[in-house]
Amino acid sequence: MGSVVEINPFTRVEGHGSLKVYLDGARVERVELCLTESPRLFEALLVGRSFAEVPEVICRICSLCSTIHKVTALLALEKAFGIEVSRVTRLTRELICHGGLIQSHSLHLYCLLLPDLLEVRGVAELAREAPELLKAGLAIKRVGNLIQETVGGRLIHPVNITLGGLGQRIGRDSLLLMRDELDAILPSCRETLGLFRSPFAFPLLPAPSYLALEPSEVPYSGSLLRMGDGRGFPVEAYRDFVAEEVVPQSHAKYARVLGQFPTVGSLSRLNLAPPVTADAREIFETVKGEIIAQDMRGNAVAQAIELYQAAERSRAVVDELLQIGRDGAGNVEVVPRSGRGTAACEAPRGLLIHSYAFGAGGVCTEADVITPTSLNQGALSLDLLALARALEGADPTRMVGALERLVRSYDPCISCSVHLVRL
Amino acid sequence: MSRPRIAIAGLTACSGCQLTLLNCEEELPEIAEKFELVYFPMGESGSSPVGQLDAAIVEGAVSTPGDLTTLFRLRNASRILVAFGTCALFGGVAAMNNRTSERDALLRQVYGEGARAFESFPPSPFKNFVSVDFAITGCPPEKTDLLALLGALLCGTLPPETCYPVCTECRSRENLCLLLARNELCLGPIIQGGCNARCPATGIPCEGCRGPVREANVAQELELLLERGFDREEIERRMSRFTPEWDYGQRC
Repeated sequence: MGSVVEINPFTRVEGHGSLKVYLDGARVERVELCLTESPRLFEALLVGRSFAEVPEVICRICSLCSTIHKVTALLALEKAFGIEVSRVTRLTRELICHGGLIQSHSLHLYCLLLPDLLEVRGVAELAREAPELLKAGLAIKRVGNLIQETVGGRLIHPVNITLGGLGQRIGRDSLLLMRDELDAILPSCRETLGLFRSPFAFPLLPAPSYLALEPSEVPYSGSLLRMGDGRGFPVEAYRDFVAEEVVPQSHAKYARVLGQFPTVGSLSRLNLAPPVTADAREIFETVKGEIIAQDMRGNAVAQAIELYQAAERSRAVVDELLQIGRDGAGNVEVVPRSGRGTAACEAPRGLLIHSYAFGAGGVCTEADVITPTSLNQGALSLDLLALARALEGADPTRMVGALERLVRSYDPCISCSVHLVRL
Repeated sequence: MSRPRIAIAGLTACSGCQLTLLNCEEELPEIAEKFELVYFPMGESGSSPVGQLDAAIVEGAVSTPGDLTTLFRLRNASRILVAFGTCALFGGVAAMNNRTSERDALLRQVYGEGARAFESFPPSPFKNFVSVDFAITGCPPEKTDLLALLGALLCGTLPPETCYPVCTECRSRENLCLLLARNELCLGPIIQGGCNARCPATGIPCEGCRGPVREANVAQELELLLERGFDREEIERRMSRFTPEWDYGQRC
């Protein structure tokens, strides 16, 4: 007899989503992943608006990653208009991206994932059951936010990073404050890893097809995309390699990259390139076996390493900015022209692509945004199906618990796109 | 005293307002202790909006039948309904083209023929459907506004409403006036303050993310901007970025 196990809504994730597992007796027939966030149609809203409005509007796609959305949009616009920014601007943007990653990873690890490990419902119970651990996590998150607010002028949807430069250069006192605060959290960033080393006892999941940007001299950004099997392609040509596939009768849309459902995010980044700082690299070497060639359960460990690396690198960037002294930000004048600009960044949750076309006077004629969660959808659906099948016959509560944990390990950020995927 | 029972939820939005609660890192443990978080799917599993609530703090615009169901359910269950953030209060960024484009056309532009599968309507503020008892504005909202509300709820009351424009705080910070001195399209004179003029303080004109201030002199701002050489279409487009409905003839 047919029955359905349903998870609605997903909890401890950003946005609205649900999952249905269709059963025939004990046998799992299919799973249906619904990212039910209502479409906000940003790509269409931007058409006809001035280039100057694009970064301000598009960062509102998502609050958890508004910083990296803004930076990616700025990079795409600067490509379209042929702008080279100053070293101060580049460093300041790097700093705010580190801040964004610290805030996003610590939120995911300590507020959204940790309750699973300690078997509590959420932050409220965490505050009662493990107050010190929660406080340590929130202290890390606070410093990530301090960086975002100091550099961006606002905690969410930053305003101080602008096209061609900065609203204002970060003052010496603020830099010194960030330096002290970073020093204070480095030890607990390092200890974070220890909390997430026992992966969930799931059956083996399908092998992921990692996808990430090839590291470049500009941290978080790059011009070449690389798959786990070594194949690669330039970001500018993404439309030739990223295929949105529509399955008849189901309105399902999958993003396939070079024919595969890609997996993006921390796990993929560390599979394709080891950490760059010496300390983070050393930690990585000790836990490599839990990351290399592993499935999404290794993502938390990978995030913990990245969290530590971002704190270390923020510290280095702050020092560098202090050394540069008080010269101006070196803002570049913006002269709009017609053309197209495409940029890709590594958002906390994975690859993010922005592409815009402009007509005369810099009026936006086309906008396209590909978010990490939409890229991860296909792989998440396949994993959910594999896990549900492996748990056939299990108690529904156990199955629901396991599936929810799997969804959370992807750290989805259910953005403005609505995609219905049936497998 | 018994702990106030509250719900924190989101409709169609970026989750930034709920994130603002999670961004109160220093206060969060105390908030968890002093309130009963009856329903907060972004931070709690297995919670459901059952029984009477003291307050429902809800972000986002209303854009799907599901949004409407959640809104009605929380309105019916709660003594106080708080419109949390600009989307809940005015429609927000997703509503910017409500007056100028057909939703179907926008949907087709982004999703092609698959668009037919979506059941949604133009993003609208709560006040179009239910009565709202209190509002926190901003995209994103200020942490201090949220903390002031939570503090007041503990005392069984609501905080005072801000009714001065961005310019008030901007002047007291002695920022350069971007509108008069640099001729930039700054919306400060007609936008609700309380943000301590964050954007003008970094040299960025006010983009209007907090929506109209009470008794805004809209017509005067419009005249001023036209006088300074901005065209009407550009001004209206900028004003509608967060609030599609303006009375352009309004004078205080």
